Amino acid sequence: MASKQTEPETSINGMAINRPARWDTPFDSSMSAASASDLLRVEPFASMDEGAFSSKVPLTGVLQNDCRLVELESGDIIVREGDYGNSAFLILEGSALVSLRSLPDSILGRSQAGKKRGWLGMLAQAWQQPRHAEVRDYSDAQISADDSQTGTRIDGESTRVFLHDIPRVIPADGSVELQTGEIFGEISALTRSPRSATVVANSKTLLLEIRWQGFRELLKRDSALKNHVETLYRQNSLRAHLDEIEIFRDLPANELEEIWRATRFESFGDFQWNNEFKSTKRKDIADRIHAETLIAEEGQAADDLILIRSGFARLSRQHGDGHQTIAYLGKGQTFGLRELTHNAATGEKRPWTLSLRAVGYVDVLKIPRQTICQSVLPNLKASQLPPPLPPQAKSANERSKSNRRLAEREETLDTSLLEFLVDKRLVNGTNAMVIDLDRCTRCDDCVRACASTHDNNPRFNRSGEIHDHWMIAQACMHCLDPVCMIGCPTGAIGRNEETGTVKINDSTCIGCSTCANSCPYQNIQMVNINDHRGLPIVDSDQGKPIAKATKCDLCESHGGGPACQRACPHDALVRIDLSTPDSFIQLH
Amino acid sequence: MPSPKQRNRRRIRNTLLLLVAMVVLAMIVSVLNQALWHSSYLTGYLLMGSFVFLTGLGMRKRLSFIPNIGSARFWMQLHIYVGLATFAMFGMHIAWRVPSGTFEIALTVLFFIVGGSGLYGLFISRTYPARLTSLGGEVVYEQIPLLRSQIASRARKLILGAGESADVLGRYYVNHLARFLEKPRGWAYFAMPNGRLKRQLVSEISELDRYLTADQRDLGRELSQIVEQRDRLDYHNALQGRLKLWLFAHIGFTYSLLLLSIVHAVMAHAFMGVAQ
Repeated sequence: MASKQTEPETSINGMAINRPARWDTPFDSSMSAASASDLLRVEPFASMDEGAFSSKVPLTGVLQNDCRLVELESGDIIVREGDYGNSAFLILEGSALVSLRSLPDSILGRSQAGKKRGWLGMLAQAWQQPRHAEVRDYSDAQISADDSQTGTRIDGESTRVFLHDIPRVIPADGSVELQTGEIFGEISALTRSPRSATVVANSKTLLLEIRWQGFRELLKRDSALKNHVETLYRQNSLRAHLDEIEIFRDLPANELEEIWRATRFESFGDFQWNNEFKSTKRKDIADRIHAETLIAEEGQAADDLILIRSGFARLSRQHGDGHQTIAYLGKGQTFGLRELTHNAATGEKRPWTLSLRAVGYVDVLKIPRQTICQSVLPNLKASQLPPPLPPQAKSANERSKSNRRLAEREETLDTSLLEFLVDKRLVNGTNAMVIDLDRCTRCDDCVRACASTHDNNPRFNRSGEIHDHWMIAQACMHCLDPVCMIGCPTGAIGRNEETGTVKINDSTCIGCSTCANSCPYQNIQMVNINDHRGLPIVDSDQGKPIAKATKCDLCESHGGGPACQRACPHDALVRIDLSTPDSFIQLH
Repeated sequence: MPSPKQRNRRRIRNTLLLLVAMVVLAMIVSVLNQALWHSSYLTGYLLMGSFVFLTGLGMRKRLSFIPNIGSARFWMQLHIYVGLATFAMFGMHIAWRVPSGTFEIALTVLFFIVGGSGLYGLFISRTYPARLTSLGGEVVYEQIPLLRSQIASRARKLILGAGESADVLGRYYVNHLARFLEKPRGWAYFAMPNGRLKRQLVSEISELDRYLTADQRDLGRELSQIVEQRDRLDYHNALQGRLKLWLFAHIGFTYSLLLLSIVHAVMAHAFMGVAQ
């Protein structure tokens, strides 16, 4: 139940307020206690043991505060393939269709991939370039040319996209029907991976949307649901993830099977890190590191090999009274192999030499030490084994010196740069704009080049976070964890699977600002669009200006790479992948 | 973006290429001269071609929406080394003698203005960015007037907020600070930016301390910070302004040089018989 905030009181200690509680902001404030009680009669909640839930987070509380009812018409798109989302869905009434085939981008509302303008098109642009910024052509000819198979309808405060003709788009032989009582979208919600298929309401349907916090609670308290989800994950995704790990690549099938069976799944940190990140940005770094969820703690027994499945983790080491960042790990990287190998080879029982902390949220796979010792280490070549651990440092000075040797790479970035990248969550960026301020003459050729390729309006700001002489400019970084892609009602924002570029489809963007508000780096700008005379285009009902979300698209439709990078004459600007320190190391 | 090591390698490679090309050209010119041919036509056309080619960087910048025309970085490297080569070509063209005719002297002066401004531009493009970075507080050039007025208004509000109790500081503000904060710095500062005035004002404010109460001293310190902030902004303005201004001069003189070169070429051909 949402706690009621009382009027602030002043006392000798200053203002007193109710301690912020988990359900201060319910998923849907219109969910009542009665609706939650009704849900208790529905499977799988009816079979759940209410006693297994804690008194602070009871099952009825989860149903009332972490769930919402969604009524859909036939044809309404529920989730799109490739979208990111935080929710799982339970069908309460009606049915839904899962498309087994990938639907065209035009139906999903996304930009058409692979359409690049040729030389002539580019040259023609020089003459056709409108004089005003953000000019859009809404002439009748263009609108009628759009033979859309989808429509949009307003549903309360949100917009829903629906298919006009379901069988035409999703034929019966290319789909699976989900019936009342079935759950879908759970893996994507729990692992922050893109939705693997498009799901559409097949009739008038009532869904229960469960946000990830609630779903995680249900998994924790109900073993049947947990087993169901884990089995699904093991069957569908685990093998692919294990295959991505280098040390498992050459293992015999029976050993891989053994690992597959022994692997445990765990999540750490907060999925909605972007909300918290904005508010804690100004906190002291020591406080921020301290607040990060520990995945493995320095000095504790090294019992597992930890694989990062998604998200980022900080490798840190106690230094004086604080923690020093040694490196950061991303998807596919492992933690603890060095300790496990060392202990197996020497018979010592060395604990974790470093701490692993969740930066935002992290999904990990844990493989027990015994499995690693029996199935993995005997099958690895000497060249694949990590170097032995350095002797245990006795003094603080020695510990500091050995940090570099513990980073497990020959070259690494200095601690302050590492901490800057991790603290500002810039490690999320796969195509960040890095400007070397010691070479940048502030000529703004990059800004002009961007404007000339994008409706006379640059898609980035030549300002941003600065460390030493490096500026990470405010340009879309095409993040590994694209929080901007959560909640777009029309699917206008999407990721190109081949290139990883996150793009906004201007024609399906309805200007709701969801993506711009979600972006923790303020790299998406809402702009009012204009006609050829430079006058704002307004909506016919209220006369208010129409806004569109705009951001860097890496000049994907122009070819030749980002115009900003090509336009810099002074070797000052580069687009690089910050999810691994390698690209930055090469700049030094 | 190449690393510093790669840039060094590039610099050595390009310099060697430039030297080799100029030595080859000097040998060709020498052979032509020995054969009593007019090597100045060869060097003249090479110079003219180079001038036209050098304007290509500006064109490249204007056509940045067209892909596959080479990066601006590549064009800049060509621009620098071809530009340096023109000095050698020019020397060979005038046979390393001081020109005598009025038109030739004008052309020579123009050439050295363009070449000199290019070298100056290269120098400040490579040295000023680090100076701007070490100043801290990234500033967008176009926003400087706005920031300047915000700083001035902050100081004004501070003084007005203190009221009559800050009589000493108020008078100092009216007589000395207001002029510094409200108006842009003059051309002398732009030509030779320095921290002399800032140091003077900060020291004068601190000298007023003995006439101030504890609260007013805090106000004085805040005013000193504002003076330093404004001075930093002026320094940004001067450096960034130079980085923009030299280019205007360089481009303007380039087109004059190109025009005069064409006239020179026409005249050279027209009077070719007379020279022979």
